[in-house]
Amino acid sequence: MRALALAAAQAEPQVHLTSQTRIVAAVIAIFFMLLILDLIRRDRLQERYSVIWFVAGLGMLAGAAFPGLLELLADAMGVRNTNVALFSIVLLLLLGLALNFSVIMSRQAAQITRLAQERAIEQARRGTADRPANGNGSAAEQALESEEKRL
Amino acid sequence: MRTLVFIPAWNEEASVATVIAGVREALPEADVLVVDDGSGDATAERAREAGALVASLPFNQGLGAALQTGYLYALRNGYDACAHLDADGQHPPEEVVRLLDEIVADRADLVIGSRYHSGAVASSGDYRPTFSRRIGISVFRFFLTLATRQRFTDTTSGMRAANRRVMALFSQHYSPDFAEIESLQLAVRQGLRVEELPVRMLERAGGASFLTPVRSAFFIFKGLVVLLVGQFRPRQAEAER
Repeated sequence: MRALALAAAQAEPQVHLTSQTRIVAAVIAIFFMLLILDLIRRDRLQERYSVIWFVAGLGMLAGAAFPGLLELLADAMGVRNTNVALFSIVLLLLLGLALNFSVIMSRQAAQITRLAQERAIEQARRGTADRPANGNGSAAEQALESEEKRL
Repeated sequence: MRTLVFIPAWNEEASVATVIAGVREALPEADVLVVDDGSGDATAERAREAGALVASLPFNQGLGAALQTGYLYALRNGYDACAHLDADGQHPPEEVVRLLDEIVADRADLVIGSRYHSGAVASSGDYRPTFSRRIGISVFRFFLTLATRQRFTDTTSGMRAANRRVMALFSQHYSPDFAEIESLQLAVRQGLRVEELPVRMLERAGGASFLTPVRSAFFIFKGLVVLLVGQFRPRQAEAER
């Protein structure tokens, strides 16, 4: 059964990209890169997060312009159908991007939490200012800061 | 010896004043700070009226972030010891005094008040967990003991006392989702002396537990993942290199 399937697979000709697909891909890639430029221009996207999208757009354009590249990749992956290879690569890229965003999101969540905590502490401290001093002079605060670093 | 007792509170306007009064009576020397975790009700006002300091987070951040705020406050303001207890009246303030005694005597860096420790005396009105809660408790107990090689009976206790070493650690690293369990693991891995003390706890004053079986299962699964990941965090010695 397996041998039969293998034989059938071998009989199938290798599937290439059609010129139509290549033109559509090139147009989309160019449109995509223009969109990113526009987003940066209108301050809707920070440069540091746009680099990765620009690389993705360039890759798309390269794939459309030089289908040989894609077929080389498909061969390396052991995939007969170039379209399938294309989909897998794009899927992996998106997976990587999603992970990247989770990392960025986690960092920002931690920053927001710390910001909220600092504000709350500052507020509570101002509450103590009305009361008799607790010996919290500037010298004491400096000593605290150095201890915080040491710990 | 300056001591801070902090109370994380989220929508606890009904009970927070009683808890503060209890703490002030049991520990007249200590400063009391309520960390208001973005409450929508009058928790902050009630706390201020009861004579506590109030640190209000601008939005609800979860218990872990609220506790971390307390540790950070204690560290920044030079307190020698700190303790925290729940705002819902489950934790008798007299028991906090006993936890703090351990810190003052420098027998431990972090002391946990345990409901289930064999030394805890059961009496009517005392805390009795539901069935699904008991399963979760024993699972966490088992895996935390496995991870830390130290016996813990009450992994989710919200009644603790700590010294400055713990303040410094927890104000830097404190998981927002699994505050209690992960912090224990972290403290033991950093080589701190963590001790459990049997305490008496009361039945929750009002409101049922939010846990359904499905949520419990998910809660347990999440906790196990957190514990597993925690095992791969660098220890102090490695981190300093």
